Amino acid sequence: MKQSVLVLGAHGFIGRCVVTTLARSDFATPILGLRHPASADARPSAIEERRVDAVRAESIVPALAGVGCVVNCVAGDMRTLVESARAIVDAARQSEQPVRVVHLSTMSVYGSTVGLVDESTPLRADLGPYSQAKAAAEALIAAYPRSVVLRPGCVFGPGSEQWTTRYARLLTAHRLGDLGAAGDGQCNLVHVADVAQAVLCAVRIAQADGQSFNLAIPEILSWNEFMSRFAIALGAVPVRRLGGRRLKIETRLLAPPLKIMEILGGKLGLRGLPPPIPPSLLRLMAQDIRLDAQRAQSELGVRFTGVDQMLTETAHWYRQQVASRQ
Amino acid sequence: MIEDALQYDADRTLTADVCVIGAGAAGITLALELAGRGVDVLLVESGGHKADDRTQRLYEGAVADERMHSPPHRYRQRRFGGSTTIWGGRCMPFDEIDFESRPYVGHSGWPIDRAALLPFYARANQLCEAGRFEYRAGEAFHRPLRPVIDGFDSQYFTIDGLERFSCPTDFGARYEHRLRASPRVRVLINANLTDIRLNAAGTAADSLVLRTFAQRCITVRASRVVLAMGALEIPRMLLASRSIQSHGIGNQHDNVGRYYMCHVAGTIGTLIQDGNVDRVWHGYDISDEGIYCRRRLQLTEQTQRRLQLGNFIGRLHHPRITDPAHRSAVLSALQLAKGMISYEYGKRLHGEEKLSVSNWLAHLRNVVTGPHQVVGFGYHMLRDRFLAARKFPSIIVRSPAGRYSLDFHGEQEPLASSRITLDSACDEFDTPRMMVDWRYSDLDVRTVRESVRLFAEDIARCKIGRFEYDPGSIEFEMTRYGAYGGHHLGTARMGDDPRTSVVDRNCRVHDVHNLYLAGGAVFPTSSQANPTLTIVALAARLAAHLQAEATRERSSISTTRPVAVPT
Repeated sequence: MKQSVLVLGAHGFIGRCVVTTLARSDFATPILGLRHPASADARPSAIEERRVDAVRAESIVPALAGVGCVVNCVAGDMRTLVESARAIVDAARQSEQPVRVVHLSTMSVYGSTVGLVDESTPLRADLGPYSQAKAAAEALIAAYPRSVVLRPGCVFGPGSEQWTTRYARLLTAHRLGDLGAAGDGQCNLVHVADVAQAVLCAVRIAQADGQSFNLAIPEILSWNEFMSRFAIALGAVPVRRLGGRRLKIETRLLAPPLKIMEILGGKLGLRGLPPPIPPSLLRLMAQDIRLDAQRAQSELGVRFTGVDQMLTETAHWYRQQVASRQ
Repeated sequence: MIEDALQYDADRTLTADVCVIGAGAAGITLALELAGRGVDVLLVESGGHKADDRTQRLYEGAVADERMHSPPHRYRQRRFGGSTTIWGGRCMPFDEIDFESRPYVGHSGWPIDRAALLPFYARANQLCEAGRFEYRAGEAFHRPLRPVIDGFDSQYFTIDGLERFSCPTDFGARYEHRLRASPRVRVLINANLTDIRLNAAGTAADSLVLRTFAQRCITVRASRVVLAMGALEIPRMLLASRSIQSHGIGNQHDNVGRYYMCHVAGTIGTLIQDGNVDRVWHGYDISDEGIYCRRRLQLTEQTQRRLQLGNFIGRLHHPRITDPAHRSAVLSALQLAKGMISYEYGKRLHGEEKLSVSNWLAHLRNVVTGPHQVVGFGYHMLRDRFLAARKFPSIIVRSPAGRYSLDFHGEQEPLASSRITLDSACDEFDTPRMMVDWRYSDLDVRTVRESVRLFAEDIARCKIGRFEYDPGSIEFEMTRYGAYGGHHLGTARMGDDPRTSVVDRNCRVHDVHNLYLAGGAVFPTSSQANPTLTIVALAARLAAHLQAEATRERSSISTTRPVAVPT
């Protein structure tokens, strides 16, 4: 008999992929936990939807009926990240039947740490409110013994705005490229399908409880190499070398107005505005942190997609998206 | 971590697993690669972060014939980053034939072949920021390129070989943040090596003596020492360190400082094309990775063997700049602006020729007749060179008349008589200065003469036009500016036989078990290729060797350690 898995944040980029992967598996049945579920006859698929406000335990408890596992893919502001983690744990504790929790965290919890980082590395969480919120959420989840924490690097693949579409747009506009020393940091890419696969494995393997797992490709890949290879796959050539002067103009002069435009554009429904390159992005690309994901491979059995395949397929998807909009 | 020895308030003794002397292309590569392999490194640099006249003067020395060789403090930089701070950025690997022992090239043959270096060339390309290790146009470009000379078909030359251009990468500026961040690297700047002290048996480097301008003395004791100071400074230090071996370290067979090579290079002749069509593309092609690449004519290995010549390449080039007969406004403007161009680049651009008043006026007339060309060129250089992070590598000027000269760069045969010795004068630290006596051979002249002749034949046979040159001027043109500046090679050559070489195939000084050399000094032959890429590849190879040795040593210590037997 298949296990019912409640997915919170199921409409997000990772959540959608997790739901699809679970639905294809032979041992899990996904249930979408949504704030506003569609009526049964208006649903795009046969997947069950339940009404859930992910930041309130009392809203989650009823949705846990018959559920063996909750997957937390909730995104949002800092408060939402922390409160949803607290609510999920509270609800799981109140549940009539035992419930496991698989929590999607992030490499940002390691903060400014550099070097090879495995799961035993202390969480510095010193890269601003997001890393603090994710670390706080992790701490709440980790206090619940039947939980698994996944810490993906930069989740790449079709549909990823942050690590795919944004980079594709900046590369095709030649606003990113080879950054020299500023792009020497390690790019801990992980394909969204591999993240979903890791979730599936974590749902299946109860012995993973109480553990955390880094998720990133095993290859050593700097941001410069990633951007150069992705740009070539996109046909955004020749790749441009950008010096410090140009990067200062981007982050100090252009980023603030572009960010304001992005926020206003979002509210007005405007698409295609040039994305900003915030200083935080440059900081990340210079950070020499390398996630060691050996534990995910050996204990969860995750197999990571190769870089070439990831870049080629995603570039193809992006070109199709661009063509379909024209 | 980066420390400044000038800040030391007392003499010190430092210890290290590996101490590398010289933070240029080879030294920084070694430090990065060793640290990446888990080996602790002390990287010592004489200079600081900026050029400093007092430090640079330590490079001064004498030259036997000033027409044949620049003063030794030119084309070298004694500072963090070394001579990469003024590097032009041209990258290309050595060819297979360069490693072979060729009966017609005296003292030729490396103890390793190209395959031994190949795994490290890719890494060298990365460190030099020259893109992928692809040196054939067909590999690097997946689109048709404009022919270099349309209709040129030669049995003597290949024409799809590439040279790739680094940014050019100043290794100091580019990799300082990595060295600073690495817990395995300690960089010490403003510390000058003044003596290498061997143990009493002369079999190991016992300590290094460093001195500062603040009168501090720093003693370094390291398990292994690598000298990566360039091919002029290495023989100077080996010869000057005479406390145990009276003729200098590694010099039992009088090989240190000998076989000094640069390259033979020059510009000759005029290609005059038939008809009104310009069939020449002598500029750069940009690869998908954004790397400037340039194709060149290269003498095939078969032709080299058949005619018993050294390695040789040529590129089409603008006419000689000093002669206003080229009628190019841009070239004349460059001639008039010669005072603004650095010595290292200006020397081969405009030479040190004294121009007559009439020639100056003729140049001025050229500029006046083409001001828009000068402005366009100025904008191009401003945008693509001075302001660009990846710089347009050189001056490319199309000839209005479709006339081009041949810029050549050839292998120099190693000669025992071409050498670095110690001069009687000393520098500020009482280390003897060097005397440079650079010589070239008949083979060098013949290589250029025959190659130019074959090129002229090909141009005529392919009905492209004619290549006019004076065969009698070959030797004059190849020595017009003397030895090619900056390519200092061969002064502590690599070989299996201690009687004819200074270091073994792993760059270890024969008989001094913990002293290694890195850089162009160990090259037994010079190839046609600019040396930096191979210097970096050899340094990466040496780092792999040192790490393997350290690992072997550790494991042998652990296996020989007494084990407690349970009773």
